[in-house]
Formats: sequence, C-alpha cells, structure tokens
Amino acid sequence: MSPTPSHPSRQQEFWSGVRQELPLQLGVAPFGLVFGVLGLAAGLTPLQTILMSSIVFGGASQVVLVQLWGSVPGPVVGASVSMINLRHALYSASVAPYLRALPLRWRLPLAYLLTDEAYAVTINRLRNETPGPFQHYHLLGTGTLLWVCWQITTITGVVFGATIPPEWSLEFAIPLTFIAVVVPILKRRADFIACGTAAVISVIGQPLPWNSWIILAGMGGIMAGWLSLRIMAGRGDA
Amino acid sequence: MIWWVMIFCGVVTFFTRFVMFSDMAPKKLPDWSEDVLSFVPVAVLTAIIVPSVLIGADNAVEITDNAHLPAAILAVLVAWLTRSVLATIGSGLAALWCLNWLIF
Repeated sequence: MSPTPSHPSRQQEFWSGVRQELPLQLGVAPFGLVFGVLGLAAGLTPLQTILMSSIVFGGASQVVLVQLWGSVPGPVVGASVSMINLRHALYSASVAPYLRALPLRWRLPLAYLLTDEAYAVTINRLRNETPGPFQHYHLLGTGTLLWVCWQITTITGVVFGATIPPEWSLEFAIPLTFIAVVVPILKRRADFIACGTAAVISVIGQPLPWNSWIILAGMGGIMAGWLSLRIMAGRGDA
Repeated sequence: MIWWVMIFCGVVTFFTRFVMFSDMAPKKLPDWSEDVLSFVPVAVLTAIIVPSVLIGADNAVEITDNAHLPAAILAVLVAWLTRSVLATIGSGLAALWCLNWLIF
C-alpha cells in the first residue's frame, strides 16, 4: 500500500470554516439586527436597507453610511466609508499569498466575502495549520456563513426592529466579537505594543475628518508592532 | 442619490478587498511583509474595539458613567482565561445588562 497524502477534502475545509465561524455569529447576529433598525431610522426604505447588506456587505461601513446619511453631503459619506474600508486592503494583502494562484472565478467571490470576522477565522487556519490544496474552501465556508447570517439578521431587524428595546444595547455585541478574536492572538510582546499603539491613536485621532482615525490607528499599530519586533530581534530577546 | 452612494460604497468595498488578489498586485511580496502583516488583525481590530467602548454619543471619551468599559474589561479577562468566543460575548453582554440595571 502506498501512503496517500492526507489533506482535508473540499467538504472538510468548507465545513471546518463554517464550524469555526459559527460562534462569532453570536456577535454578528445582533449587529445585523441593529443595522436593520438603523437603516429605517435613517430614512432608508426597507428595500434599500436590505439590499445594502448585499451591495456593501460590511457591517461597520454600512452603519457609518446610514449614520452619516442625511447629515453630511453624499461625497463625504463616500469618503468616510472608503476610509473605514481601507483596512480590507490589509486583509487582502495578508490572505493574498495563499490565494493568488487561484483562477479569477475564485478570487472574485472570495474577495467579496472577505469581512472582518471571516478574515479573522480563516487567517488563523491559513497561518497555523498545514497548507492544503483546498484551503480556499475554508474562506468560502467562513464567508458564506457570515453572509447568510448577515442577510437574515438584516431582514429580521427591518421587519421586527421596532420591537427591540434599545436598553438591550445589542450594538455592544460587535466590539465584544472583536475582543473575542483579538485577545487570544496576543502572543508576542510586539503584539501587545501593536495593540496599545492602535488603541491610543484610535482615541486621540477621533477629531480627524472622514473617520481617518481608523486607518491611522491600524497603520500606527502595525508599524509599532513591527518596529518593536525588529528592535527586540536585534537585541536577541524577541 | 442614496442608491448612488450605496453602489459607490459597494464598489469601493469590493475593490479594497480584491486589490491584493488581482493580477496587478505584485506576484511576490518582500520578505519583511510577512512580519508586518502579522500585526494586521491585532492593530486593526483594536482600532475598532477601543473607540466603540470608550467614545460616547457626543464624540467624547467616557471613562466614568460608562457601563461599556467595565463590561469590556470583564470580556477581555474572560477571553484571556477561556479563549471562548461564546463565553466572551455572553459575559460582556450579561455584564452590561447587569450594570445598566443596577447602577446606570
């Protein structure tokens, strides 16, 4: 008997993505409900609110869009949302080495599905588990589950939103989701430095126009982490 | 107008996600890029978490009278100890509800 290479099958990769993404829906679902409510409150029609969840498909950007809509000119709304979205280019760069060899018919849908929560789960698999020929099915799994959950909860929020009491503070579920993702990946000393730097810039940068604090804090944290990694490596105590 | 803004935002969102997957992106990234990109999740997600906990409705930092802060600190501790997504989100929401009900 010749040994067969043991790598996960397409189905195994897809379903392990779905399974690992599932707990995060506890945070995504309330966020979708909140977005449904906010959309109507901002004066969008139910159809516009629901379609925005598949046209834009980005929780934070959709919330910013509806919050700014009506109070500032359209181009400023666009600039603000683009600024918030720039972080996805960083996700794209970080996942690209694993996916670049795929044909375009794969790269297009996978790019569309590359949200915060799908990225956070899949990058863990790509970096820390054995590479497999079907590892892109993992992102398909995390992304698809998130997409389905986001559409269902947006619609639910639009239909039943008026009955959700505001004191449930459902919007708090989203920072909690990210806390659940970030804390376990803080391993190196440089990770803590990146985290602290991003935290400080994100607060002091608040007055900056077009929500540019989000990308400045992200870039600042990345630079601080990388520099401290270099310095510690130079001293031999990374 | 809202449709145009929405479609613009959708196109921008898609292209920022696609940009490094495209054939225009450099085929091989420099060696140091792996180290740099390893900080992306921590730095970017922290930049989303901290303001949503600390910044109040009037765009000012709120340390006192802010039930989100102790609830978030508890969630960080739970995440650190359990590494469980469900326990982290559940404890944070439960803490916020208790605090709002008891004090705020």
